[in-house]
This record gives sequence, structure tokens and C-alpha cells, in this order.
Amino acid sequence: MTPSSMAALFAVALVAVIVGFILVASYNAVMALRQRTDKAWSNIDVALKQRHDQLPALVAAVRGVMAFEQDVLTEVTRARAAYSPDEPIRDKAIHAEATTTAVRSLFAVVEAYPAVKSHGNVLDLQNEIERLEAMIADRRELYNDQVYRYNTRISTLPTLPLAWLFGWAPREFFAASPDEVLRPEATL
Amino acid sequence: MEGSGFQLAVLLTAGVIAGLWLLARGMGGYRTATRIGDTGTSRIATIAAGEVRVSGRIEAAEVMLISPLQSAPCLYYRSSIVSGDDDLVVGDDRSEERAVGFRIVDETGDIRVFPRGARWDAPTRFDDRTGMFGEEPAGLSRRTGSAIGPTEVDQEAAIAALLTVRPVATDEAEADGSLLSGFSAGSGGRSRHYREARLAPGDEVTIVGRAMPFSDLADPTEADAAYGSGVGTDDPEVAADIAEAREAGLLADDPEEAWGNAAIPGFGIGRPVRAPELDPEADALRLGTAEDAARTERRFAIVPGALVLASAPDVPLLIAHGMPGVAAGRNQGTFMVGLLGAVLAIGSAMALAILVSGGFGS
Repeated sequence: MTPSSMAALFAVALVAVIVGFILVASYNAVMALRQRTDKAWSNIDVALKQRHDQLPALVAAVRGVMAFEQDVLTEVTRARAAYSPDEPIRDKAIHAEATTTAVRSLFAVVEAYPAVKSHGNVLDLQNEIERLEAMIADRRELYNDQVYRYNTRISTLPTLPLAWLFGWAPREFFAASPDEVLRPEATL
Repeated sequence: MEGSGFQLAVLLTAGVIAGLWLLARGMGGYRTATRIGDTGTSRIATIAAGEVRVSGRIEAAEVMLISPLQSAPCLYYRSSIVSGDDDLVVGDDRSEERAVGFRIVDETGDIRVFPRGARWDAPTRFDDRTGMFGEEPAGLSRRTGSAIGPTEVDQEAAIAALLTVRPVATDEAEADGSLLSGFSAGSGGRSRHYREARLAPGDEVTIVGRAMPFSDLADPTEADAAYGSGVGTDDPEVAADIAEAREAGLLADDPEEAWGNAAIPGFGIGRPVRAPELDPEADALRLGTAEDAARTERRFAIVPGALVLASAPDVPLLIAHGMPGVAAGRNQGTFMVGLLGAVLAIGSAMALAILVSGGFGS
């Protein structure tokens, strides 16, 4: 083999190594992104479930004193009942948004009842649900960020050909469009 | 091959090697950039267990390090001294890398970081050489005391430090027996290249690692400091030695039994939170206030269920200077340089082939 052909072989091998590295690294990056997105979604689901479990206790704690505010309580109960662990992400987003709105309405009404608000149990439940609301909001942001990164990566080079080859599809954001959000029927 | 041709061949071979080295470094940069760029930032207050990316300012936890070349308080340093006329000379070169545990703070809260096994991407804060006549660079301020310092120095400790006269460093011995051992002031006419990369309290960093409950750390003490020993107490041989020592009564069961007064939070590095047992002749120590005690407790005690950031076999800790975009961009730049390195390697190989086949000569 002549020196020139050896040099040409070296160049071809080096280019092949670079292309191979980029392809393997891109594939691994997409796999890691999918795992992160799944994990981010699981973390939202955990917080949604925790809030779902806390709501009956809150409603029970305030029901006796707030007998004249049945609309708000019914709305919270209805929003809670709409939650289903197996529903698609879009439906979960719609129901989560409705629950958040109903819970906010309930908290606003509670402000008008100092006797209820000052009750230790109600205060604890309110604080816990507010903590879960903040957690859901942060984790939703993180999930949507991961979905954005994933969708961007599979739709741009150098990952685009791999997405076509392996059939990777864009993921759904955890968001409800404004017209899909179920507004509470209660009036304050 | 004639003299000039041989020199050219050596130069081109060096070009191939340098190009391949840049390419390998660039590939590492690509992976790092991908890892930082593909992970969303979690807020510390609502962080969940698992792989996370956190971004914010770092602050000291229990102790700080004093850097060897500039005596700067820091939480991580990598310092090197290279002797000779250029960096290619391998002789009495030496380098040292150390880190201690710290906290990272964002707008929602803070989380403790255990840095053992971390990969660091820290900025070079000092990079200078000895002068033409062997004089040391102006920024060099070699450490003369301990490598570990307290996070807060109270007035009395500061006065005591100022009044302490330390011996001038000699060739035979240095204070801490580390990087600076055997290096005296003045280079003795030889050129030296000093370099120090550091991360200090207040620096903005991006960390990618695993958030896990503190109680899940196999060995919090080992995980807290990165001294490069590479052997933890979970090493089977070390674990067997520890069990044997415990059985033989050589190892105490609790810190109070083992260390006495030193087990009292704040003792020796601030105000102790409770009265130590002292010799009757010794001056009584002033105890910390309730506020000091709470601060010390927060600094030294971590609730078992509290989430901390640490390295895991599947998720190595990555600590990079700067906010995520800056850190990822820097590593992408390294990848681009790596691609240029590949071009250099290919070009050098082509030129070498032409030279060997007599192309340049004709």
C-alpha cells in the first residue's frame, strides 16, 4: 500500500469514526431524553395523585361550616372525580387545570370564613394542597421543557434521519388549550 | 530523508497526534454538552429524586478549601506546577485536585452536594509563568497553612490567624505535604508554569447528577470530599478492615466517644453549641447563641430523608461553571475545535504521505 493510499484510508476512517460517533451519541441522547420525559411525567402523576388523595379531607373539613357554599364544594368534588390515572395526557391536563381552578375558588371562599380559616386542620390541609399545587406547576414546567427538548431534537439534524428510521414521534405537552379548560360553574 | 525533511516529518506526525487528541477531547465535549443541554432545570424546592439538572450559586457547607497557588478560599481546585522551558517537559511536574461538599442555592431553596466522583468543568483563575530571570509571577501567593478552613471566621480566630507567625517554606518541607511540598519560594532559575482552576462560593454553576435521599448515600463522609484516593469505605477490603477494627474495639461507636469535644458542632471552627469538657485551667469557651446553634445545626446535620445531589454509577455527577446555556455552549465549542482537530490530523497525514513518497522533494 502506498503512503498516499494509507493517508486516504486514514482520512476515510477518521470521517467514519466521527460520523459513527455522532450517530451513536445522538441515538443515546434521544433514548436518555425519552427516559427523562417519562420520569418527568411520572413525577407529575405522583403529585396529581397526592392532591387527589388530599381533596376529600379538605372538603370534609370545611363542609360543615360552609354549608351555604355547596356550589364551590361540589365543583371541587366534580373536578376530583374527573381524574383518572389511565386517561391520556391531554385529558389529564384538562382535568388538572379544572381541579386547580376549583381549589383556588374554594380557598378564596375560605378567606370569607375566619372560623374555618383559623382551624388548624383546615390550615394544614390548605398548606399541603398549596404545596402540591406549586409542585405540580414546577413539575409540569419541567415535563414540558423535556418534551420541548425531545421534540426539537428528533426534528433537527443530526437526529432527524434516525427519527425517520426508528419511527420516533413527537410527544404531547402537558397543557390544555384555553377553550378546553373546564371552568367552575360556581359564582363567588 | 534529509535534515529539514525529517524535521517536517516530525512536525506532521505531531500534527496528526495533536489533531487526534483534539478530536477525542471534542467528543468528550459533545457528550457533556448533550448531557447538559438535554436535561431540563429542576427547581430545588420541588426537586424529585432521580437524574436532575440544577443551576444556581454555590455556597460553603461545613468547611472550605484554601487553594495552594493563590491561597484563595474555594470549594474546588485543580492546581498544577509544570517545570521546564515548556509544558512538554516532563520532570517534577505535579498537580493536585481537591473538593469539599457544598450547597447550591437557587431562588427556591438549597440542596447539599456531595462531590465525590464528580467531573469538574471549572474556570482557570490563575495561569502564569516565572519571569525571564526566574522571578515568581505577581499573582502567586502560596498557601502556608492548612488546606482546609472554616466557612466563617469569627473575630478572635481572625486575630489569632494574623498573629500566627509561620515559618518560611523550605525545599525540604512544606506545611501540608501536598502539591507545594519540595517547592521553595523562587524557582532557582528554572521556568515554572503555574495553573489553578477553582470554584468559589458565589460562583454560578450547573450540576447534573442524581438527587437521592441522604440516607441512601453509601458513605456520606467519603462522598463529601474528593481527594482523589479512589477507595471508599464501601470497598470490600476497607469494609472488612473497618469491621475488624470495630470488633477489636479500635473503632468507636459514636462521634462523641471517638472525638470527644471535637464531636460538638461548632467546636474548634466557631462557637460550640454546648459546653465542652475542658481542663480546669483552660479558659472557658463562649458558647454560641441559639441562632448560632440553629445555623450550625443546619450546616452540619442533614435529615436522613432530605434529598442531596451525589454521583451514582449510572449518573455521574457533572459540575460545570456557569448557567446551563453557557456551560453547554462552552462544551459545544470544544466539539467544534475537535472537528478542526480532525481536519488537522487528516491534513497532516496527507502531507506526511506526500513527503514520504517524495512529493515535496521533487
